[in-house]
Amino acid sequence: MHPLMDAQLGAFTFFASSLPHDVCGSNGLPLTPNSIKILGRFQILKTITHPRLCQYVDISRGKHERLVVVAEHYESSLNDFHKQGSPVSPEKVLQIAYEALEGLEFMNKHGMVHRAIAPHNILMDCKGNVKLAKFGLYHMTDHGADVDFPIGYPSYLAPEVIAQGSFHPSDPSHREAPLPSGPKTDVWSLGLLLLELCVGRHLLQSIDISERLKFILTLGCMDDIITVLAEEHGCLERVKELPENVLALLRKCLTFSPSKRPTPAELLRDPVLEGVARLYTPFVKPVGLFSSSLRCAHLELPDDISELCKDDGDDYLAERSIDEVYYLWCLAGGDLEKELTNKGIIQSKPPVCTLPNFLLEDGESFGQGRDRSFLLDDTTVTLSLCQLKNRLKDVAGEVYFPLLEDEQSSLPHSISSNELSAAVTLPLIIRERDTEYQLLRIVLFDRLLQAYPFKKNQVWREARVDIPPLLRGLAWAALLGVEGDIQAKYDAIDKDTPIPTDRQIEVDIPRCHQYDELLSSPQGHVKFRRVLKAWVVSHPDLVYWQGLDSLCAPFLYLNFNNEALAYACMSAFIPKYLYNFFLKDNSHVIQEYLTVFSQMIAFHDPELSNHLNEIGFIPDLYAIPWFLTMFTHVFPLHKIFHLWDTLVLGNSSFPFCIGVAILQQLRDRLLANGFNECILLFSDLPEIDIEGCVHESINLFCWTPKSATYRQHAQPPKTPSDNNGFSKASSCFSPDFQDLPKSDWSREPLKLSDLKGEVSPRISVEDFIDLCELSGPAHFKTPTKRTKSGKPKILALDIRSSEDFNRGHVPGSINIPCSTASGPDGELVQTAVTSTLLGFRGRVIVVISHVMKNASMFTAHLVKANYPRVCILDGGINKMKPTGLLTVPSPQI
Amino acid sequence: MKRNKGKLNTTEKEFLFEFTAGKQRYALTVPLQFPMQENVSDLHGRLMLLHKMPCFIENDLKSALSSFIERETIQDYDRDAELALQRLSKGEVDTDQLANAWARAYSETTLEHARPEEASWDEDFADVYHELIHSPASDTLLNLEHNYFLSISELISERDMELKKHQERQVVEMDKVMQELGNTVSDQDVNVMASQHFAAQQVLENKWANELKQVTGIQKQEYQEWVIKLHEDLQNPNNSKINEEIKVQPSQLTEPQESGDRRFEEQRQLEESFTIHLGAQLKTMHNLRLVRADVLDFCKHRRHGSGGVKLRRLQTALSLYSSSLCGLVLLVDNRVNSYRGIKRDFATVSKECTDFHFPRLEEQLEMVQQVVLYARAQRSSKQREQPEVPRNGAGEDKAKNLERNPSNILPGEFYITRHSNLSEVHVVFHLCVDDNVRLGNITARDPAIMGLRNILKVCCTHDVTTITIPLLLVHDMSEEMTIPWCLKRAELVFKCVKGFMMEMASWDGGISRTVQFLVPQSISEEMFYQLSTMLPQIFRVSSTLTLTSKR
Repeated sequence: MHPLMDAQLGAFTFFASSLPHDVCGSNGLPLTPNSIKILGRFQILKTITHPRLCQYVDISRGKHERLVVVAEHYESSLNDFHKQGSPVSPEKVLQIAYEALEGLEFMNKHGMVHRAIAPHNILMDCKGNVKLAKFGLYHMTDHGADVDFPIGYPSYLAPEVIAQGSFHPSDPSHREAPLPSGPKTDVWSLGLLLLELCVGRHLLQSIDISERLKFILTLGCMDDIITVLAEEHGCLERVKELPENVLALLRKCLTFSPSKRPTPAELLRDPVLEGVARLYTPFVKPVGLFSSSLRCAHLELPDDISELCKDDGDDYLAERSIDEVYYLWCLAGGDLEKELTNKGIIQSKPPVCTLPNFLLEDGESFGQGRDRSFLLDDTTVTLSLCQLKNRLKDVAGEVYFPLLEDEQSSLPHSISSNELSAAVTLPLIIRERDTEYQLLRIVLFDRLLQAYPFKKNQVWREARVDIPPLLRGLAWAALLGVEGDIQAKYDAIDKDTPIPTDRQIEVDIPRCHQYDELLSSPQGHVKFRRVLKAWVVSHPDLVYWQGLDSLCAPFLYLNFNNEALAYACMSAFIPKYLYNFFLKDNSHVIQEYLTVFSQMIAFHDPELSNHLNEIGFIPDLYAIPWFLTMFTHVFPLHKIFHLWDTLVLGNSSFPFCIGVAILQQLRDRLLANGFNECILLFSDLPEIDIEGCVHESINLFCWTPKSATYRQHAQPPKTPSDNNGFSKASSCFSPDFQDLPKSDWSREPLKLSDLKGEVSPRISVEDFIDLCELSGPAHFKTPTKRTKSGKPKILALDIRSSEDFNRGHVPGSINIPCSTASGPDGELVQTAVTSTLLGFRGRVIVVISHVMKNASMFTAHLVKANYPRVCILDGGINKMKPTGLLTVPSPQI
Repeated sequence: MKRNKGKLNTTEKEFLFEFTAGKQRYALTVPLQFPMQENVSDLHGRLMLLHKMPCFIENDLKSALSSFIERETIQDYDRDAELALQRLSKGEVDTDQLANAWARAYSETTLEHARPEEASWDEDFADVYHELIHSPASDTLLNLEHNYFLSISELISERDMELKKHQERQVVEMDKVMQELGNTVSDQDVNVMASQHFAAQQVLENKWANELKQVTGIQKQEYQEWVIKLHEDLQNPNNSKINEEIKVQPSQLTEPQESGDRRFEEQRQLEESFTIHLGAQLKTMHNLRLVRADVLDFCKHRRHGSGGVKLRRLQTALSLYSSSLCGLVLLVDNRVNSYRGIKRDFATVSKECTDFHFPRLEEQLEMVQQVVLYARAQRSSKQREQPEVPRNGAGEDKAKNLERNPSNILPGEFYITRHSNLSEVHVVFHLCVDDNVRLGNITARDPAIMGLRNILKVCCTHDVTTITIPLLLVHDMSEEMTIPWCLKRAELVFKCVKGFMMEMASWDGGISRTVQFLVPQSISEEMFYQLSTMLPQIFRVSSTLTLTSKR
């Protein structure tokens, strides 16, 4: 979106027509409210950006089907000329005509028709250029079908519009909606409006509506419509004085027969406008982030760089884009309904006065007077930016232009921003509501994303702090490494040909996050279907599993106007976190995943794990929807966003930690309850504190040795060929374990049945050496160094017999021989172990043995005795031997 | 109602694209449906893929395709437009009618063309009152209301006394006569006397009723005039006298506490509150309350004002014109009047205090009767227009019932009355139920349940945020209502209301509400606790917030 500059924000409101009571759709589900349909259709308008059109910014739904639309706005309109009362000069008329036609042509290209052209909807910016307002009303209301009021103004309606009739809900004889109007209707309206400008007075305003409309229809029999109109209003003289090209233009516009009337596009290229056309350069759409052409291709720097800074005003806010300004306006306490109420546009009666008297069993109500406050008043109210500017008056100018090359810190060092950096420690919810902080973050992310993929690493670093909600869609795309001409790729996918999965998709979509207005709108459903189909069609080895719809939801919501990006993000997300989850037979993948998950529960919370195992409440019963949908099935969207903000930074084993963190929040209730209650509890998951969950899962992640979550069915490491320097993700906490090159000391795949038999996870030798901070051989590739604090402390516990131990062991390890620690039935002798382990509370216990079976039994006992963070060294001591790191204790003297 | 637009006249047109590859000439023809629904770039992508088109024609094909579609669409628009104009010129459509339809559409839906609004006394008064009650003057207003209430109470007790005395006198007389029966007095004389007594009683009652009506009428008028005047005075800033008056008044008025009476009443009322979450992913919070009380307890003012009562009155007054109203479901029979049973009791309660804002109950009921007749007429005329196949026997039964007396209402239908003079309630939903609700076997499709759904819907559309529902769908217990009956009924109503509340979330976007489930006073304490353990099994009670955590 283009910068605000001298524009203002305007809001107007209208009501969608209410649905008849208790009517179901053809699929048996309740009908979608008209306001939601409009809301869905509105979204595309946000992408229609043209210098001659008022940019649409936002729509919001109020009570009782009220809609409030926010758009770019200017105080002056063509009505100002009428207030002056004198005719407008022919040159000015031609300029207005040309500019308006430019706007109309652009709309038509996007399949839209204005239909509501009137002097007060043609605004003028400060330079006197035309800006068409309310151009999307006809589109968003489905050609007027979703609202009670007719779209357009009686004096300016084209004859064919009148002839096609009006649809009125209270009129039972007229059920069928009129046909949609074409682009040429706008040309008539424009013509009449130009004529008014030429003669300097309103036409047809004085007679009542039905007479006016009849008069317009009779114009068909006239030879010279302009003369007739002028005579009718006694201004024939003025018309006669008009230059020939203006008259010709008017005649073309006011052609009665639609087939002979030119379209806006034809009129623009018409010789009558030739003189004006020369003054204008055609509008070129700026190149977007993901495109095949070079974004900086047309960048021309002046020879003298200082020229760039010359025309800088003080109003930096005005240089931000309109949607950013509006977003900040809302954060600074802006309330649309309040603004409109203050101006008297929203007038509501107390509800107690509008109650019906009587209702039939089927819900039809009687005795309710028609409420005048539901009538249309389409006055646009200017939203005052004073409050926002006041709020931001102390923000230093540097904040608007952060230096990206400063590697030290992302935050500029000024006094005010020191306060802002203190804000980083505040809870996320508060940060997201803080105007100054969001301004800072938005500016920063906007710059970084514009420099994507060059500044990819910095995006990663900043995303660790937080992601501003306004730019979340793009930020995620950057974090997921989406690149290239995604639109072309998406266009090339066949999303129309029916496929067998269609039926299932059709069933699932109306059940997926439908509390959300956007996703429940018909437009949302269409987009859902297309993105899902595109994914299914382009991944022939994978299939649609229920849950894919939920997974798609956050991407679609964030990139509602950019299906290609939603699709690209989803396609990047799934292999990263859900590799092969969508195979036709995915049982081995899921089974392994769940087994690792239960090992993680045992690792972090043995008490809970013991209880859950005792009552038989295994992850298979509840965790499949969690992981298959990456929690999108269980949480509402706003929680998913916060969860995923961290998830997309983590590697593929991060979800385990989230799962454990969720269980821990419900810990008390789970421990107190038996199987049935637990099933009931999880059938409708209670409220989860997401920020707490995120913190806890990061904490858990730091305590988890990387190789503990090894899965043989995880995504195989990328081959170096597609690592072209950039695509290697620098993960938040550590690179994905699976991405590391395989070596002899990595973990080896285990049979599923064996894996299931082990309560505690195994860790690899490699990981063990790293954690023990043993100096490895030179060729040994240590993964990226973690800071010391982030590294879990480790306790190596050798359970071999003491003779074996003395023959050679890992430095720093302690020895509790398996034989002494376990009783006759294999029970753990408490005293023997506790006395030893007491001194090492909170450390990760790595059990080392030479028979894996012994180790796994021993750990099982430790877990049973509620020892947290117990794991097994994969391969035992035998694998350690070749590293040459074993030491022999010096014989005691 | 669903308008089928555009579907009737889809036309198929052939798109032809020719290109050369090497020395070969190729032609691609594609049949396309107009009006075009799908995206041009999608279509283009599909054509490229499907026909394995060479990539060098990609851009040519795209531009050819879009210009073809553009051209054809314009042609379609032109054709439709010309057709419409032709119909008009040929006289197939009446110009007058057309123009009038447009004119009506504008005048009924847009403020610019609508007839100017006639000033409505009710709404002006509502505005004035709402403003005053939210100002320091509220105390004065409430005191005034309370004083009016006291004078009516006096009048009523006077009436009751006189009626009682009169009755006693009649009894004495009658006793005398009965003793003489057979001697000097014949049976006929007794009958004559009895009817005389009855007539005298009627006269007396009417006299009092008229007096009450008159007094309330005067009170209402005085009150409204006073409120308007107060408002005018307050608007005038240099009129400080009234302000002073208002400021002084609160301290003067400390009412004597009659705690004994209150404690007794509160003991009889059992209640338990729950906070629940509804919804699968996005959860909305609501408050539920299970209350054992008499339904009219929500309407009655305690006669002797105490602090709590005044607060309650203030609360009700503050929210009267706000968007958080309180509603009550009253179960009534099929007649719109106030002669019998609970309707009579309710009418009595509603007369205990003057309604300063809305018409008296009788007037409201008269209005409802008219509306019912109108609704029936509308319905039957609609049915005549589109005769539907009668669904089942019950439907015919209903129809017959209606033909006999169109002013009666049917089970599941309800009428609404508005009140400003009840203690905790602004809106009363009079839901019609029949004897079926006393039986054990009603289902979720029962008219009474559907009526509840519609009531909740009205709550949504008219901002009734607190609603009281009789949980067992009866106001009094009787013998056939055994413990299993109660449990079964309570479960049904809980579950249905839960379903409706979830549905409501989609109507109003999940506004938090309070639903009170009312059980009759005569239910045992044990039963009450059984019901209160049932509630959290059906609704998901929100987890308690733990401030200290182990970890």
